[in-house]
Amino acid sequence: MKRIVLVALALLPLVAQSQYPDRPIKLIVPWAAGGDTDNIFRPFAPLLQKHIGQTVVIANVGGASGTKGAKEAKDSPPDGYTLYAVHDYIHSTYYTGVADVTYADFEPICLISSTASVLTASPKTPWSDWKALLADAKARPGQISVGATLGSTSHFFPALIEKAAGIKFKYVSYEGLAPRMNAILGGHIDLTDANMTQKGKVEAGQLKFIAIATEKRNPELPKLPTLKELGVDVVYDVNRGLLAPKGTPAPVVAKLESACAAAAREPAFAEAMRKQATDVRYMDRKTYADWLKKNDELNKNLAKDLGLLKR
Amino acid sequence: MYELLFAGLANVVQFKYLLPLFLGTLVGIVGGALPGVTITMTIIVVLPFTFGLDPLQGLAAMTGVYVGGSAGGLVTAVLLGIPGTPSAIATTFDGYVLAKNGEPGRALWIGIWASFCGGLLGGVFLIGATGPLARIALEFGPWEFFSLFVLALSMVAGLVEASLLKGLLSGMLGLIVTVMGADPVLGHERLTLGIPFLAGGIDFLPVLIGVFAFAQIMTEVERMGGGATLAVAVDRAANLAVSQLKVIWEILSRPFILLWVAFIGVLIGVLPAIGGSAASMMAYDQAKKLSRHPERFGTGTPEGIIASEASNNANVGGSLVTIMAFGIPGDAVTAVMLGALTIHGIQSGPLFISQNAQLAYGIFAAYLLAHPIMVLILAVGARWMLRVTTVPKAVLFPAVLVLCTVGAYALNNTMANVYVLLVFGLLGYGMVKTGFPLAPFILGVILGDQIELNLIRSIMTDANPWLFITRPISGGLLLASVASVAFALWQHRRQQAKLSGSGDSSDF
Repeated sequence: MKRIVLVALALLPLVAQSQYPDRPIKLIVPWAAGGDTDNIFRPFAPLLQKHIGQTVVIANVGGASGTKGAKEAKDSPPDGYTLYAVHDYIHSTYYTGVADVTYADFEPICLISSTASVLTASPKTPWSDWKALLADAKARPGQISVGATLGSTSHFFPALIEKAAGIKFKYVSYEGLAPRMNAILGGHIDLTDANMTQKGKVEAGQLKFIAIATEKRNPELPKLPTLKELGVDVVYDVNRGLLAPKGTPAPVVAKLESACAAAAREPAFAEAMRKQATDVRYMDRKTYADWLKKNDELNKNLAKDLGLLKR
Repeated sequence: MYELLFAGLANVVQFKYLLPLFLGTLVGIVGGALPGVTITMTIIVVLPFTFGLDPLQGLAAMTGVYVGGSAGGLVTAVLLGIPGTPSAIATTFDGYVLAKNGEPGRALWIGIWASFCGGLLGGVFLIGATGPLARIALEFGPWEFFSLFVLALSMVAGLVEASLLKGLLSGMLGLIVTVMGADPVLGHERLTLGIPFLAGGIDFLPVLIGVFAFAQIMTEVERMGGGATLAVAVDRAANLAVSQLKVIWEILSRPFILLWVAFIGVLIGVLPAIGGSAASMMAYDQAKKLSRHPERFGTGTPEGIIASEASNNANVGGSLVTIMAFGIPGDAVTAVMLGALTIHGIQSGPLFISQNAQLAYGIFAAYLLAHPIMVLILAVGARWMLRVTTVPKAVLFPAVLVLCTVGAYALNNTMANVYVLLVFGLLGYGMVKTGFPLAPFILGVILGDQIELNLIRSIMTDANPWLFITRPISGGLLLASVASVAFALWQHRRQQAKLSGSGDSSDF
């Protein structure tokens, strides 16, 4: 009898393995709640939960330009119970020397969305359009303040504008979109990188959109000019996906991938993303892995061009 | 606003929210009634159980614990003369006397209904003031936030009963803990001693559990020195039946006192760092000064019970305002509440209400509903609540310790946090033993990152350091923090003079 119990106990881990997932899955969002990454993964998590058959709990682990959460994800056991919500900052923070974590520390699962950047101004600023802003920036170099997650995408986007337009901003550390919104609504910073998720505030007169960094105007807000048509050759978007710690077993990753694919195809997700003016952009893990590699190279060159490259 | 509130109420009366709210209130009342188990401890123990719930469910439970805890302390305070929580200390002054004089039912129910009225008045303020205050908070730049946090820290350091120097040192120690790990802006590692775990910084929740639950339970264990139970005999035959209408009338016939003490409770709740026990003491003091019969205080006058209980429940409403509008915890209890908000994915602060109106009004509704639930539970269970206090502490405390440890583990499912709990439990115990107050320490741990971030932001925005003083709100807040330290110095000196009879006071 005793022996049978022992054998049963010895088999338990195997059984547990084959039944992944048998306990809740933690999804690390490396920024504060209420930011845009949080806003995109909050509606995604219940859909993923539906297809994976286990509770998916979002953990907001902010700090150090989003790299605190990245480090925590990297150091988590590779068992599929910790996932990591990532975007292009993983490349930029590595090359700007903020953190030692790179995309190669993780197993790609899938890419789910793409959000275009919008140059956004505080309602307390005097500019009504890009022309006025440009003139003011030329008159007062290094004085217009930009709230940004340093070394991350919200730093790269205004830096690209600086370079393209030949102007100079001043950067203040506000991590994640949610704290940046607090600061810009109160007029404590002048400009920031935002996106169409903030459209409601623009319509309420709490924010001013200056220009969107897409090839063509966005149908949701056709009056908003693109940077390109204003003569500033900058196209920039932020792509969000799911990663797991390196060494996560292939069957687990495969299971996550298929759940992710099903969740990304849900009409509910499309609807939630439409409200956030974000494109659903699904890539399976193979395509996503190739894309990450290319994007990493791109960000390295970008960091070099902007004079931010530290390695 | 009222539409949103009604929608919130309609939302929360759903079974899936009502159940956690009810259970939270129940656990809060029990925790509050248990002497030696504070509201903070109760919240810490309950929090991990809410991890898997949706945000409003979790927050309804936490709100219930907070409201229930503030009321639960009164049962033992009135019937046994032992305050279940520090905020019920002032309730014993008159409540216990009245109960001993043969009117335990009247004393208890005056306390319960006063809690109810005070809590609802606090709720009116919570719902009315959070929005406007949040709009003011939006005008706060990094300078103002920096100064506000400094004010909170200096107030706590000054208001503790121990020496000012120890209070300030304790706060400083808390700030040092937050410096460990990656810096908040660019992630440079500091004070990590090459230990990978420290590189991520130290989570405040295990620190809080260690310092508050662990260290305090250790001192309790020491005090009881073995398997002793409560020495007070419980008179189970006591008649608690009383005419409810008469009791309610006793409270409502004193509208001036009720409003004034509720106001004091709310005000102290809004001000960071003071807390419920100070609210009830101050309200009691005020009620005595304003009363036409100050000599009756301490002899079992209803006014004394009303003052203490109405103010400590109104205090809950006030402190929820500060957490929701500014994202600043007032004291240890609200610090854990703020942690609970964060864990449930809510970034509290100026934009919280406008961005999460449904959730915010859900919390308001949960707060309001927790009060009738509290009265109901006490009506049915006050007698049983007394039995709870006869549970031997030798059984109770190990159980609380186990729950605390599980809570620390469940936070991230890592053992590292359990070790953090252990280390800070020992540190906290050492601090208690050497007379260092714990509240400034924990506030330092909670505010440290924000102080640093806002300091960096201010300097990045404008290198001129005088802006901290020349910006009116920031300057005013800094001035207030200097004043609070000066006031504490003066008060300590006066106390010393009173005690020793001479003007000499070496230990301020």
